[in-house]
Amino acid sequence: MATHHHPVRWFKRGTSTLRRLTQGAFTLFIGFLVVNHLLVGESATTVTTSAEAFCPFGGVETLYQYVTNGGTINHTHLSNLVLLIAVIALTIVARGAFCGWICPFGALQEWLYAASAWLQKRIPSFGRGMRALNKRLGVRPARLGMLPESTLIQRIDDILRYGKYAVLATIIGGTISYGVMVFRDYDPWSALLEIGALELTAGTIVLGIVLVASLFVERPWCRYACPLGAVIGLTSQLSPVRIQREGNACTGCTLCSKRCPMGLPVATMSELTHRDCVMCLECVDACPQPGALDLKLVIPGVQAPTSEGRH
Amino acid sequence: MQHKPTAKRTAIPTIPQRWRSVHIRPSVYLAIVLVVFLGVIGAAQAAGWWSTTGRTTTDGVKIQITGTNPTEIKGWMTIQDVLTAYHVSKADLYTRFGIPNDTPETAQLKSLEGVAPDFSVTDLQAWLVERASGP
Repeated sequence: MATHHHPVRWFKRGTSTLRRLTQGAFTLFIGFLVVNHLLVGESATTVTTSAEAFCPFGGVETLYQYVTNGGTINHTHLSNLVLLIAVIALTIVARGAFCGWICPFGALQEWLYAASAWLQKRIPSFGRGMRALNKRLGVRPARLGMLPESTLIQRIDDILRYGKYAVLATIIGGTISYGVMVFRDYDPWSALLEIGALELTAGTIVLGIVLVASLFVERPWCRYACPLGAVIGLTSQLSPVRIQREGNACTGCTLCSKRCPMGLPVATMSELTHRDCVMCLECVDACPQPGALDLKLVIPGVQAPTSEGRH
Repeated sequence: MQHKPTAKRTAIPTIPQRWRSVHIRPSVYLAIVLVVFLGVIGAAQAAGWWSTTGRTTTDGVKIQITGTNPTEIKGWMTIQDVLTAYHVSKADLYTRFGIPNDTPETAQLKSLEGVAPDFSVTDLQAWLVERASGP
């Protein structure tokens, strides 16, 4: 029998609430900066901070410039570099926590998907339409290893996930070559921060696509295109923190896979070291079996006890 | 009434873990997340390595345009700042970027992106670099 040093049920359910409160607090902070910058504006004597100064990806874009000549490219400041360092440190310590607990754009996509799910329950025709669409496309709520094969849409999903690395490589190459933020005009996050300008740009079109897609797919930008997510995914491989599944306690109910906002097949994994894991702990929260899924700090170099020893 | 037989759910076996691991409570995890993330930011601010605007240096000293390096040009600077520092004529600049003639020279560069579709601070920097390296 598995050892019982796990939180009691009410606390586990509270993890989701705790996370949403944290996401909400960071989103409110960024929202305040956007509104303040828009309403107060800037003049020769007044300086208001732009929310762009708090984007860690700006640090990635300006890093080469800073290292080579000490300056920062337009629209970026030292704060962007500091935030990049903070995100890297956080990722090494706590894996994808920035994406799952802090990033306001990830939170916004999650909330839209939740709103869509809520509407599907309350508007029967919408719910039926979505189920029919998913069935036609071959989308399953979760990809389960025990199913005979993945569908075409799931194979496409797997391939598209590499998109964010292509986006990252393009941006880094372009920024080094031209010394400017080559991605800013297409960046949906930047477009959202500048939404007060009420201009139709390539960025606002991408933003619109992401927001509409969020009604059908959870965290579409994070899954397929976020360049910061690519940086975090690669760095996360250094982290000793991860979610582990205990096969003896797991019943194979797959609730964990169904709750994963990144669409990972948690129920088939021994431990979640996947680059796309945002450490939201929704799978741990959803698991009805004590000890089946647990958040762990792995101590490299210290041998795990044998299964006999553990039980 | 006969029930359709349902397949028994079976968990997929897990691979035994090589290294020892210890449980982390979600609340402790959140505390670690906040301490690391905000701690790095706080440490940078305490060390004076923090700036959220291009108008001042990290020491709070107002940045001045020098006319020697176009990458120093920021969106908050005015047309007049550029004309003076880089010895460019107003006609050349306005023609090159399609800036409307009635745009005052006191206008900030970042405000031009709305009135002159061909203008961006980046393009201006590139143009000035090109002019400086030209014959």
